[in-house]
Amino acid sequence: METILSPTMQEATNVFISNLLASEAFIRYHQSQTLLDHDSKAQALLNQLSQAQTDLRKKQAESSLSKDEIDSLRALQTQARENDVIQGYADAQQDVIKFLREINEEINQLLGIDFASFTKHSGCC
Amino acid sequence: MNDQVNEDIEIASSSIVKQSARDFAAAIAETPQFKAFEQAAYAFRNDQAAQQAMQALQQKQQSLRPLMQLNALNNIQREELLELQSAFTSQPVVQEYFSAQVELTTLCQALGDELSGAIGLNYAAACVASCCG
Repeated sequence: METILSPTMQEATNVFISNLLASEAFIRYHQSQTLLDHDSKAQALLNQLSQAQTDLRKKQAESSLSKDEIDSLRALQTQARENDVIQGYADAQQDVIKFLREINEEINQLLGIDFASFTKHSGCC
Repeated sequence: MNDQVNEDIEIASSSIVKQSARDFAAAIAETPQFKAFEQAAYAFRNDQAAQQAMQALQQKQQSLRPLMQLNALNNIQREELLELQSAFTSQPVVQEYFSAQVELTTLCQALGDELSGAIGLNYAAACVASCCG
């Protein structure tokens, strides 16, 4: 069942969202996300890395993992770390999470509860 | 390049965002769900019978924890635990507290969903340490 918010609650939510989106951390995060989405080289590298991780987990479960395969995955991880667009996105994401936690702390202090925990839907992760 | 783009965008300072977060929290504090939760939590904290029932349950859980982790409780121990759980959860103030908690959680989940959808990040996952590491 959908929860109906009072006009006051909805207004406070809208202002809070607008200000969050206009913060430096979020602007940089969304810019870095757009750059990443439009960078075909970075996308190809991330797809390769994701595929290699899936293959590695599968081979690990089958106990058929070779040293060459581990080396190949490490090389891809290094390439991803050295890619400016991917690294820029990862840094911006870390910054925005740090900022969001600071903001959540403001809410917690006023309410005396951990607001983010109350927003969680049941089940792990 | 980013800095060039930022020149055209009005940036909200950290203090403005924090103020709007406090206004958002103040609006939550005024909701019937939050007021009911605070009232139920106060009643629960000040109800002697409920506090005693909770302590008895916690002490038993603590003493049986190693066996519970090994799933090695015998029938008597399991029954003792169930009786203490029932004695705790049947307290009217405990039921009211749980019910108020469910109502507040439903409201916070709706707010969290709205925030997550707008900011493009899962609010709870970003702010709460994950159980999956």
